[in-house]
Amino acid sequence: MENRLKELRAERGWSQAALGDHLNISRQSVNAIETGRYDPSLPLAFRIARLFKQPIEAIFEDEDAARDS
Amino acid sequence: MSDKTLTPKAANKRYFSRMIGAACGYVGSVFGVSFLIDKGDPVTFVTILAALIPGFFVLMMLWAVWRFVNEVDEVARHDMTQSMLVALFSVLAISGGWGLIELFNTNLPRLPVFWVFPIFFLIFGVVNCSRFGRIV
Repeated sequence: MENRLKELRAERGWSQAALGDHLNISRQSVNAIETGRYDPSLPLAFRIARLFKQPIEAIFEDEDAARDS
Repeated sequence: MSDKTLTPKAANKRYFSRMIGAACGYVGSVFGVSFLIDKGDPVTFVTILAALIPGFFVLMMLWAVWRFVNEVDEVARHDMTQSMLVALFSVLAISGGWGLIELFNTNLPRLPVFWVFPIFFLIFGVVNCSRFGRIV
């Protein structure tokens, strides 16, 4: 799943470790989500959305929906 | 019981200290028991009890892993589970294959069941480190 995590993080000048601290996940986990190697669970996606004050769909791209439309 | 208030770093630190402690106990008890009990010794309640000591440390490792997957974040839990599955099925394939070959070829050296555990952790370690290396 594509996401804008890296872009949003860069806007705030945060490192992966800093974002990981905000979300209580490791830097490696932030990297795995940013690169699309791992799709976060719904609770974690909500935590990310709350942190960046944006709806989930503004951060994560639903590729299936994009293909269908 | 899991502790969700732990940071990923603290969970990692706790996991490694528990695993290193259990691994030292395992290696020490294997050497200790092998030194104390000779092959020709009669099988007694005490020798059976002594032979079970390394198994206790393996259970300690299970406990450490169990706590870790409950305490750490979901990405690490996912990676850990996948690495363990790769290690588990590799060991099953190796031991199953070797066991069959042993049936047909009597010249082949016997693979003692004892080696299943070190082989599992060797494969698990290599797979987990290579996954870790890929995402850093």
